[in-house]
Amino acid sequence: MRTLAFGAVVVFGAFALAFPFLVNGYWLSVGVLAMFYAIVAASWALLAGYAGQFSFGHMAFVSLGAYTSGLLVKWFDIPIPLGMLAGVLMCGVVGSGIGFVCLRMRGPYLALFTVAFSEVLRIVIVSENEVTGGSGGLEVTPLFHARTDTPYYYLGLALLLGSLAIMQFLVTSRWGLFFRSIRENEDAAAASGVKVVRFRILAFAITSSFAGLAGGFYGHYIGILTPDIGSVDQMGLVVAMAVIGGTESIVAAMIGALGLEFLVEALRSYGQWRLVLFGALLLLTIRFARNGLLALAWQQVMRLGSRRRTRSIGQEAG
Amino acid sequence: MTDYLLIQALNGLVIGVIYAVIAAGLTVIFSILKIVNFAHGEVYMMGGYFAYFAISLVGIPPLPAVLVAMMLSFAMSVLIERTLLKPLYSPTTERKGDYGILITFGISIFLRALALIIYGPYPLRPPSFWPGVLVVGGLIMTWDRVFAGGAGVAMLIALVLFMNHTPWGEALNAVSQSRESAAIVGINDQRFYMLAFGLGGALAGGAGALVGPIYSLSPSMGLLPDTQAFAIVILGGMGSVAGSIIAGLMIGVSESMFVALFPDPSRSLTYAQAFSLLILMLVLLIRPTGLLGRAHVAMD
Repeated sequence: MRTLAFGAVVVFGAFALAFPFLVNGYWLSVGVLAMFYAIVAASWALLAGYAGQFSFGHMAFVSLGAYTSGLLVKWFDIPIPLGMLAGVLMCGVVGSGIGFVCLRMRGPYLALFTVAFSEVLRIVIVSENEVTGGSGGLEVTPLFHARTDTPYYYLGLALLLGSLAIMQFLVTSRWGLFFRSIRENEDAAAASGVKVVRFRILAFAITSSFAGLAGGFYGHYIGILTPDIGSVDQMGLVVAMAVIGGTESIVAAMIGALGLEFLVEALRSYGQWRLVLFGALLLLTIRFARNGLLALAWQQVMRLGSRRRTRSIGQEAG
Repeated sequence: MTDYLLIQALNGLVIGVIYAVIAAGLTVIFSILKIVNFAHGEVYMMGGYFAYFAISLVGIPPLPAVLVAMMLSFAMSVLIERTLLKPLYSPTTERKGDYGILITFGISIFLRALALIIYGPYPLRPPSFWPGVLVVGGLIMTWDRVFAGGAGVAMLIALVLFMNHTPWGEALNAVSQSRESAAIVGINDQRFYMLAFGLGGALAGGAGALVGPIYSLSPSMGLLPDTQAFAIVILGGMGSVAGSIIAGLMIGVSESMFVALFPDPSRSLTYAQAFSLLILMLVLLIRPTGLLGRAHVAMD
């Protein structure tokens, strides 16, 4: 099994590196967006799946990061990387704030609060159109002045791998254990000496920063930002990606996002029916495979593998 | 100016009644199934369209169409409950609260996507219940609003009577207080989960049918009333039907006063949408048990 997983990583890695040379411009831009969604879905999985805080305001942080960077670059003419960094910091600070005020809330209350926060932010961006461009959108300076999306693709890939490495390191460390213990039972975790307050706020701050990073990247890639990026429908898409992949593993959520983004584009000829299809797939996944389709598929592979092994052992004995 | 404010207050009262109907449905579902239904606004949206098509395709007159919409919403909710919500009652389901949040959020996405296909993105406006306007002194109000307010009040009265004076209503109350004790006295709880979710859906669908001629119908029309209903339910105290009604009226009136008195008219409408959201956030922060909260229905 180890060698199988290693082989898969090598094949996918080679494919990911060669991707811009294998496809046309349209699919390359899909690839860039897939990287963006993968960072967002993976960080949401960390917040909801590991830390157990079902925030539906994650896209609001994407929007906050994107607008912070876009507006700073536009009005104060600061270098773009600095703007993106400011977006990340902004999301970290606001995320800690939201995490702090949500300390007393659990489950659905927190979900409601974050939905409300994200809609208020969207409404403010729409209404203050003199500064933000309103529904018409905000023109954002592009990051690269290249003819193709190739530099964006490699930057996106690097950001995704970097974020993934940090998040994976986090969840396999003691902190990951603390996050999960708080998810399972907050009182028991506190009784065992887990600093619940600190780690609940940390979970929010860290995941919001990743959302802000993804947002900054998205804004400077897409060129025109609209408040729709922080809408409930976008949040629904990210939830679908993470849940169909599997919220209890950051890698699974990432693969879910990549897979779904490519599927959305591949099925473009079906128009709006795609959304119904994904909605149905989401419902079926939640209902019958709560750990996501990847975990289910992995279990089947493992079972097949072990069956083959027992059979060969049986043959040897016979 | 005073006439204008008075008209705004009356409009707010009508909308408050509609909010109260939606919120009462949410409360019934919450107190029995112990979940916050994120798909409630989408059932409200579906109810509006059910009435529209009952009128335009089948030719049912507008008034009975509201009842048809309520029945169809009831049937749709029961179907959803039987197919998707069953794990909520199973002892083997881990973290039921999380399941409830995710599944109802998923249902809301699914229904919105479905509505976009079937009904299209353009707003539809069903025919009036009662064309024309009511004029009393300097006050003007369309008959549609008068009718919607009256029908909403009738629904609320019917709900309160049903909950307090019928065996089924009492059984619902029993299940909301303790599933185990209700089972001991011979109440089949499965049937009452079905009834509660259907009843909540019927109220939302009825509200959707009532607002159709006032605003228009669109697939995303459920988003805001949904958060408004949440604000009302939490402000009124989770699980308290009377609290929802009072809070619904309060929020409806204060919202339209906010629109009337907001200094910058070009932004008053967009910020009015943020108003109820801010109330929701404030209530969650300051008084999450609401005005008339009952301890036994508090969320774990």
